[in-house]
Amino acid sequence: MSRTSPVWFLLLALMSQPALAHKLKVFAQTEGDWIRGRAYFVGGAGASGARVEVQDSEGRVLAELTPADDGSFAYRALAPVEHRLVARTGDGHSAQWTIAGETLQGAFSPPADPSDDSGPPPTQPSADAPAPTAPLDHAPVASQTIDPALIGAIEQALARQTHPLAERLNALEERVRFQDVLGGIGYILGLTGLALWWRCRRAGERA
Amino acid sequence: MAHIPEGVLTAPVLIAGGLVSVGLLAVALRRLDYDHLPRAAVLSAALFVSSLISVPLGPTSVHLLLNGLMGLLLGWTAVPAILVALALQAAFFGFGGPLVLGVNTLNMALPALVCALVLAPALGRARPARRAWIGFGAGVLGVMLTGGLVAATLALSGEPFRPAAQVLLLTYPPLALVEGLVTATIVGFLQRVAPEMLSTGASAHV
Repeated sequence: MSRTSPVWFLLLALMSQPALAHKLKVFAQTEGDWIRGRAYFVGGAGASGARVEVQDSEGRVLAELTPADDGSFAYRALAPVEHRLVARTGDGHSAQWTIAGETLQGAFSPPADPSDDSGPPPTQPSADAPAPTAPLDHAPVASQTIDPALIGAIEQALARQTHPLAERLNALEERVRFQDVLGGIGYILGLTGLALWWRCRRAGERA
Repeated sequence: MAHIPEGVLTAPVLIAGGLVSVGLLAVALRRLDYDHLPRAAVLSAALFVSSLISVPLGPTSVHLLLNGLMGLLLGWTAVPAILVALALQAAFFGFGGPLVLGVNTLNMALPALVCALVLAPALGRARPARRAWIGFGAGVLGVMLTGGLVAATLALSGEPFRPAAQVLLLTYPPLALVEGLVTATIVGFLQRVAPEMLSTGASAHV
């Protein structure tokens, strides 16, 4: 039993996929003017103790966030500019995620519109739309300018729907794969073989 | 933790770490005992895999380092073994990276060498019953020294030292304890199945 225990240990290590790997990641997406995201260790565990800095493109710190227990955080953007999210655990782990300014554009497109704050209900009347009812069923909508508040609402709803998908995709990309583990072990064995061959060759030359 | 990612350290620290690592590697290759290569390969593979089993602890996540054990069993050969494992982790898993490889290797290999020079001779002389305790000491020493070196490299790069030191103080002692127990178990196991690995092999090639 004890003789085989290292073998069991190795098998267990290989079987425990997807393993909780050891790399900090941060992921974020915009929902309207909110930036929502999550700091986590590859494999799933939330990095609740990390600090997330919100920086602009020049590296000025706009805010410092403390993620919740599952590593999630939210920040309300003040302007449609590039936001850089930098997560640090304090002991040398750090990760970065960049939010392009364009993705925030929808929430900020009517800069002079004060009603944007309250969140845009789709039936809200607008100065551009002559009809007070929702223009959704109207075919000739393309001829007039679409209510920017509606665009904002659509973008927000879409972002809410795609957020889990995008996050999952991002996590999958980083997952440690079984073949990577096997490949690494193969490399180690190969290098050892190479070194032993080198030694044999030199020993042969001397003899 | 032991894998400092790219973009955290400053250039002087990276260059200095790289140079010292190359120096250590040169010495290690000169003293390389080819008979220990298979053993080094097994431990290198174990180190490579061990980083996949990491446990979230406090604000960070930790995993076994195994550098104390490598120092005990491999002596100087631990340096290339650690370098190979870290390089492959950087290539396959994205832990660390090519630029910080020197510093990361140094942070892992120096404690291994300390274990090799201080504890391995004692291991050879010790009575069989006490060898597991020396293994425990090697595990604890390896982790704590690595933690100190990581904190030092972060501090030298201008990272705020206090939070880093706090995290390390919180997470390293429990890890050191677990690492010590694992190393003691492995040494005890070797004592039962292959005692010659501990008595002759370990101290002869230091």
